[in-house]
Amino acid sequence: MILSETGESRVRGYLFVLERSLRTFLPAATAADAVREVESHIRDRVAEVEPVPDERAALERLLDELGPPLRVARAYSIEMSAEEAVATGRVAPMVRSLFQLAALGVGTFFGSVAVFVGYAVGLAFIAIAVMKPIFPDNVGLFLEGPSFGALFPAPGRPLGGYWVMPICVAIGVGLLIVTHRGARRLIEVWLRRRRRPV
Amino acid sequence: MRDKTPGGAQPEGWHEQLRRGGLELAVMLAVSNGPKYGLEIIHHLDSQRDLALPEGTVYPLLSRLAREGDLKAEWRQTEPHPRKYYQLTAQGRRRLAVMCHDWRAFSQKIELLMSEAGIQP
Repeated sequence: MILSETGESRVRGYLFVLERSLRTFLPAATAADAVREVESHIRDRVAEVEPVPDERAALERLLDELGPPLRVARAYSIEMSAEEAVATGRVAPMVRSLFQLAALGVGTFFGSVAVFVGYAVGLAFIAIAVMKPIFPDNVGLFLEGPSFGALFPAPGRPLGGYWVMPICVAIGVGLLIVTHRGARRLIEVWLRRRRRPV
Repeated sequence: MRDKTPGGAQPEGWHEQLRRGGLELAVMLAVSNGPKYGLEIIHHLDSQRDLALPEGTVYPLLSRLAREGDLKAEWRQTEPHPRKYYQLTAQGRRRLAVMCHDWRAFSQKIELLMSEAGIQP
């Protein structure tokens, strides 16, 4: 089948969306190479199809077999993000990878939720340490309640004083380190299981 | 790999696990006899071996195998347009041998269990 101008536009549109999606997480050259390969695949597939009156239906069927461009990009993305997260331990690929893993199954969903909770609690402790010198009467441990954190208005006078700062920093940083290691381990295990033959 | 066995529908999760588990091995076996490009691999597994692969998953997989050094990828000037060919590297060949061994060992254990359960081939 030889594509009409409309068919060519549809293919270009598919490749455009694919490239835009791939470039959000792949280097431009790698994304361009992947798009070039998918384009080669589409051209070969189109050439295999006998000329038909309904070019549009034939082309859509062919693109359906390949899958929506966002799904194809996601297949590249999951692997790349997970590998980058495990190899570098950087926060951005780690978070991106955890979001993607959360959508893949119940186990990875709860694992990802636990990791995000860990990050959030760790950051909350550090935030308390930062807020203490700014709002000395509103941050700390209060016997009323009893409660702990930054409270506005304060239910009473906070206990102790500035001791809360080093303790919160230590707990917060400790939690962030443990959570980050746990997240890396979770992604590593997922990658290993995914690559196991059965 | 699409189910083409008689007997009707399979549970989706089981089918998916089996397909995902075998996909990498099937692709590496397809290029073990010489360089092939993506669509050629798909055709090889589909038409000759009844292993229809979801096309959109093959290219990310090939890309990963090349990144890990199991496959070597190169663009070749072919007609009517260039194509990206993949072939096994020495590392890939060693890994394929291990995978085949593991697959056979696993398969034999399942066969044994099936025969113990009285399920005929």
